[in-house]
Amino acid sequence: MATPDDDVLSGPIPDPGADPTPAELAHARRFAELVDKTLAGRTPPAMSADDRALIEVATVIRATHGNAALAPSRQRQAIDEALRAPIAPAPARAEPPRGMRRSAPWLVTAASGLVAAAAIVLWLRAPASVQPYRAVPPPEWTSRPADSLVGPIARDHAGDAGARIDALFADRLDGFRARRLARGGTP
Amino acid sequence: MKDVIAVLWLGLAAATVWACSAERDPSAPSATRIADPTDVIDQDLMIALGQAKNFHHKAKVFMTDGNLAAAQAAVRQILSLRFPRGAAEADDVRNDARALLAKLLISQDKLDEAMHTVDEGLAQSQRASFFVANLYTVQGEIHEARAAALDASGESGKAAAIDERHAAIAAYDRSIQINAKLSSAIAEDR
Repeated sequence: MATPDDDVLSGPIPDPGADPTPAELAHARRFAELVDKTLAGRTPPAMSADDRALIEVATVIRATHGNAALAPSRQRQAIDEALRAPIAPAPARAEPPRGMRRSAPWLVTAASGLVAAAAIVLWLRAPASVQPYRAVPPPEWTSRPADSLVGPIARDHAGDAGARIDALFADRLDGFRARRLARGGTP
Repeated sequence: MKDVIAVLWLGLAAATVWACSAERDPSAPSATRIADPTDVIDQDLMIALGQAKNFHHKAKVFMTDGNLAAAQAAVRQILSLRFPRGAAEADDVRNDARALLAKLLISQDKLDEAMHTVDEGLAQSQRASFFVANLYTVQGEIHEARAAALDASGESGKAAAIDERHAAIAAYDRSIQINAKLSSAIAEDR
């Protein structure tokens, strides 16, 4: 049966400064009792739809504030259930079918044989020679012809070997020192 | 039957181990190899170049004093220097020393000895270079000097002098060809 207070959620919103009406006070008192019963675990089996909605909201608000704690007995029960799961004996494994038990060693043998044969085939079909990786040093570190350094030798300078060896020595010394420095002073 | 299968399986396993561990070719080069030490400028190469430089300076001092025999001896010592195996500079340094030695011999009218020095250098050269071209230039000068000497000997030497001049032209041409080819190759590389 609907009561005048049942329209508390859908009725007109009262003025904030207005004094509560007796009906509102009665509704608040009744709802407080309802909340107390719910917290005590004695929620009435029947209540109005508005009351149920308000109770649910109140429960959520209380839970979000961290005030919802399980009863000690309920806590112990939850912990016991959590611990029991890992230490409980595993259920017995189902025995494989008899045919599978007999063929398992053959399957393992065949798989091993296939792997061995594949390894041998790969080895036999591997390329005969592998191009070696070769670290290429900078050109100025290498021993090389002196043509680019000296250039064409004019007839007038055909006998100026002394000047050319000076230039060659200086150039190679630069490369030698650069290589040595790059290697931390190691020759 | 099980024993046969077991034996076959063991055989395959052993073959697999062998296939994975056996060396393919002991003479095959390693796939990861650092640069060959003979490719880079090392201490031995610098010592050889330094020695060649000092012998050249020594020869220059002797030439300044007019002691051409001692200068020749100093230059000949360059020919006996030991360079690292495969060093490309070795050919160049020796050919340049031979060119200087031949010039010294030409200045002393030792034309046959000068030609022998040049011919040895050309025969021992591993590749065409500006230094080989220079040897051909000196060879041309030797032919020219021979032609002049034949001209001076009178009418009997005129024909031989012409041959020497032709040989000189051929030597100069060879020098020019080498220089042109190498110059264009170096220009392309740059």
